[in-house]
Amino acid sequence: MWSYEKRLQFPVHITKTCPKTASLLMSQFGGPDGELSASMRYLSQRYTMPCKEVGGLLTDIGTEELAHLEIICAIVYQLTKNMNVDEAKACGFDAYYVDHTSALWPAAAAGVPFNACEFQSKGDAIADLMEDLAAEQKARTTYDNLIRIIDDPEVRNPLKFLRAREVVHFQRFGEAMEKIKDSLDAKNFYYFNPEFDKQFVKE
Amino acid sequence: MDDRNTLLKEIDQVSFYLDDLRLYLDTHPLEEKALDLYQQKHQKRQELLKEYAEKFEPLTCHCVDLTTNGSQASDTCCLGHKHWTWSDGPIPWETAANSCHISKGGV
Repeated sequence: MWSYEKRLQFPVHITKTCPKTASLLMSQFGGPDGELSASMRYLSQRYTMPCKEVGGLLTDIGTEELAHLEIICAIVYQLTKNMNVDEAKACGFDAYYVDHTSALWPAAAAGVPFNACEFQSKGDAIADLMEDLAAEQKARTTYDNLIRIIDDPEVRNPLKFLRAREVVHFQRFGEAMEKIKDSLDAKNFYYFNPEFDKQFVKE
Repeated sequence: MDDRNTLLKEIDQVSFYLDDLRLYLDTHPLEEKALDLYQQKHQKRQELLKEYAEKFEPLTCHCVDLTTNGSQASDTCCLGHKHWTWSDGPIPWETAANSCHISKGGV
């Protein structure tokens, strides 16, 4: 169960309209390593996670990713809410404008719609945590790329905050992986599925 | 406006402190220093949320107080009447709700 809090986790205050920047940032909403993928990945994987502390961590990180999704959407919204048609055309935002005006709709920077195939929920604790670790690094790389391309400090500041959170999440997932391994036989960590082949998990 | 921004900034800061500590405690559940800090910051946050709800509007639905008519300082169409204050105040994704830490540049 979730309840809403009427504030952003990190403030977004953008004064310059820029549909071009919005179209790039859109990827962190609905793109392959975006916040929608991140939240759905963790919130889907948690049900079968054999260690309840790790299930709890997935819930808390998945919840924070929902707050990050909101920050990205607020940036895209503020960058486009006052755009005119000429600006949309000049920035290549016209195709998106035709279908969505200035509404938020999850897609990657290149226009590919959000797709659940961007993340996995495998039902294997080691495989899923490896995916989560990789996902945090891929999201960090995407933020690095965006921070290199975008000049406006009003956009860069929340992106730098989000980038730092990817690093923290990577650290926490690394600790979760150690916890899962502690419950396994050290001779064959990667030999079976600890969620399903329970006979190999230590009491 | 200054009082609102100062208070919101404080709430953002203490809440983030807790967001980060929560994940840390998920993987370090016995660490006493972190447990004490969580308790201390949590209490501070509760006080600030209550103060913000009294002066302006509730930030969570749990802060709604129907024994009041809401705040004079809050943006509402129902001023002076007993009403549902959860709808009062700025929308969080609008610039107006986020002027508490207007960026001063950055790298």
